[in-house]
Amino acid sequence: MVEIAPKKFKKKKLDEHQKVLIDVGDGAAIPTKEDVGLFTAWRVAFFGAIALTVFLCVYKPDPYLDIMKFVPDGILVTFEVTVLSIMLALVIGLFTGLGRISKNKFINGIASLYVEVIRGIPLLVQLFYIYFGLGRFVQLPPLPSAVIAMAVCYGAYMGEIFRAGIQAIPKGQTEAARSLGMTPAQSMYHVILPQAVKTILPPVGNEFVALLKDSSLVSILAVADLLRRGREFASQSFTYFETYTMVALVYLMITLFFSKLISIMEDKISAD
Amino acid sequence: MQTDERRKMVEMKGVTKYFGSLKALDEVSLDVFEGEKVVIIGPSGSGKSTLLRSINRLEEINAGDIIVDGFDIYDPGVNINKVREEVGMVFQQFNVFPHKTVLQNLTLAQTVVRRRSKNEAEKIAYALLDKVGIREKAGVYPTKLSGGQQQRVAIARALAMQPRLMLFDEPTSALDPEMIGEVLDVMVNLAKEGMTMIVVTHEMGFAREVADRVIFMDYGVILEEGSPEHFFANPTHERAQQFMRQIL
Repeated sequence: MVEIAPKKFKKKKLDEHQKVLIDVGDGAAIPTKEDVGLFTAWRVAFFGAIALTVFLCVYKPDPYLDIMKFVPDGILVTFEVTVLSIMLALVIGLFTGLGRISKNKFINGIASLYVEVIRGIPLLVQLFYIYFGLGRFVQLPPLPSAVIAMAVCYGAYMGEIFRAGIQAIPKGQTEAARSLGMTPAQSMYHVILPQAVKTILPPVGNEFVALLKDSSLVSILAVADLLRRGREFASQSFTYFETYTMVALVYLMITLFFSKLISIMEDKISAD
Repeated sequence: MQTDERRKMVEMKGVTKYFGSLKALDEVSLDVFEGEKVVIIGPSGSGKSTLLRSINRLEEINAGDIIVDGFDIYDPGVNINKVREEVGMVFQQFNVFPHKTVLQNLTLAQTVVRRRSKNEAEKIAYALLDKVGIREKAGVYPTKLSGGQQQRVAIARALAMQPRLMLFDEPTSALDPEMIGEVLDVMVNLAKEGMTMIVVTHEMGFAREVADRVIFMDYGVILEEGSPEHFFANPTHERAQQFMRQIL
């Protein structure tokens, strides 16, 4: 998960030109600028995973190739859960972030409480709670339950990212917008948020990768994602070692691919 | 001068402002008339910026009244955004919008707040860019501009709203010396056109040339006010004399 570094933000007295340090502490091996050699950790891991997968499928098609034929349905479900969750989490995160900087004590309190409560409960427990626990009152199908639970959980983290990104914009920008007669909402929409996106995008990308990995938890709710499909295959064929090796390799290739994509995007943004 | 017949643009009465336990403004009263150019000087920490910022409510005051263009801006029933439409503000740090081009900096509030069409807003924007001498930079992002150019964009952006009053908060203090002149030129021209201006500055040459009235502040109080002639020749207050000796 992403931890926003300066705790000072809570004190609202923010030095105008202070840069936000958004510490990327999670995710897969994201290549940094210093890794210039051919054998960076990322390259070794990514191309190694591809080579190993191809090798296993060719060398021992039974069961490896059979596994690779069986799990792709799950990859689609994994993406579906991830993309839907992240989009909903972004919406929740935006409003949470705005709530956290609100001067209205009630709104601020609600947003802060949400963040504290959600961050203090394991995602797996939240999944159980929404699907099995709340099932006593409203029984949602597995996929919507999974998406809601993931989004509610990640929304709290997104909220902190939005808050930090917004607070990183110098106060003078708001003052300039307001002194032109803009309402608080207009200055937020036209002046602050478009600038905050730059700071917000990289950690959001990182959350995407983290969410993609955490989406494997939804297999518990009988959502037929990548891990679930693997479990199904393994329990029929008793090839646990082979199946989970392939499942791990597929997750690894996907997350490394997106990590790279995000670091390229990050470079592009900071180059502007 | 028939002072009483002129229209009051700003009317401050007993304005008091605290920052924690620090008294930044101590029962300040000040009237500024339509068309008047008032220059506020004083040492740093004297409360002059706070005074200026309170005029469009960028600072909340603790006591007193401020009437701007006929509106009591601390009355909860008054829409402060409406008042701010008529009050342009120029900041020490420019505060241009870095994610918008120069032209967009000038058209944003026109379209969003004044509800002008894009065409009309751009027409006004180009005319103002001509006026401040940077029309050729219309499509450029402000980060590519020098400080002096950025400040001229900021002035043009405020003028695009066609305000009735302009506030300048140390507009040249963050500039390299060679760029101060180009910004002051714009301000002098604006003054000649009859704009009501309240300017916090350390530029004594500007004060001498443009000001109808110079106000000297210290300790959150107006210690002395008068014509620039009076002020630069023989200020009466001891703190003012001391300040003038240091600055000239």
